[in-house]
Amino acid sequence: MKTKRYGIQGFAAGLAALLIAGTVVADVDQATAAGDLAEVSALAVEAKANLAAAALGGDVDAITEAGKRSDAVDAAVASAQEAYSAMERAIAGGDQDAASTASDDLKAAVQAARDAFNGVVPESIAKSAHDQWKESQTNTGGGPGRAGDAPNIYDVPWQSQGLRSFYQGLFGSFWSSSAFGGSRGFGERDATPE
Amino acid sequence: MNRNGFVLTAVAGAALFCAMPMAARADTAALAEEAKTYVTKAEAAVSDARAAIENGKSALVRIPEDSPLMEDVKQMLESAAENWAVAVESLKGASESAAKVGTASSEAIAKDYALLAKVNAGVAVSGSRVVQISLRYVEAVADNKTESLDIIRASMQDATAAASQVQFNYERVKTLIAEKYSK
Repeated sequence: MKTKRYGIQGFAAGLAALLIAGTVVADVDQATAAGDLAEVSALAVEAKANLAAAALGGDVDAITEAGKRSDAVDAAVASAQEAYSAMERAIAGGDQDAASTASDDLKAAVQAARDAFNGVVPESIAKSAHDQWKESQTNTGGGPGRAGDAPNIYDVPWQSQGLRSFYQGLFGSFWSSSAFGGSRGFGERDATPE
Repeated sequence: MNRNGFVLTAVAGAALFCAMPMAARADTAALAEEAKTYVTKAEAAVSDARAAIENGKSALVRIPEDSPLMEDVKQMLESAAENWAVAVESLKGASESAAKVGTASSEAIAKDYALLAKVNAGVAVSGSRVVQISLRYVEAVADNKTESLDIIRASMQDATAAASQVQFNYERVKTLIAEKYSK
């Protein structure tokens, strides 16, 4: 009887030690994660420097390639920041599993940034947003953004995709608030008001 | 015998408890080597930036004083000067942290020094690249390559924002490590 009890106690003690060890291994290191976030941002700066070098060189193909890589790194930076925020929220809420998942997402984003910097660009970014949009529309208007967007007369095609989308948004707001755009604009009025 | 069985199983469990985190930890020597790699990369970036500054000096004298882009050039040079100071200071910090990895009293401390070396080197690299972009703008103006100015200007805006993120994360790492040891 006593023999059996010692055996069970020994097994339980060993199991408890293993469980504690498992918990320590799964623990998320926030400082390391912040270091990863710094690394992806530094890669974004390097990608921009490569783009500037290509621009100075004047080779259109090199500029296009550097632009794609830079956009892909930017996308990875955004994913990394999102994952870090999720990790912070999970740690604050005491949710170890969610923190661990977010930490894995962050590691994946860091790898994606490294790959993009070295030329492995995802298809969704390799093809410009404009091309993707154009393919999905039948009534092509020739500008970035959604099908119904007013063509942005201030669009600068060689700017980064992020800047172009930002300016398209600004122009869209300006246009819809003007007398010419929006649901109450001139274009929507009846030719004969009566 | 049975008591021995209990002791043996418990010791095996405890050994596994100690062995697993130890296996997961990187060796201090490997960490020191890794930290050195970061410093080497940062040194190369700072060296590139130094060469860009030399090129920029000769480019600057080619720009006519009445150039309409002189104001832009001035702003770029101011930004280059700020980032150059940051890069040089961070490279110094990265070297100091990397040197402490090998002499740290525990693996956990060595890991933290290696992390500090990594982020410091990141700040040095990003600062150096911003310097290079600024001086590429100066070169483009000097060589009248107006078609590339918009791309370089946009790159500069994005790079400056990203470099600020690197510095912000460096501060975050420093705070998190300091909190760990102040508990």
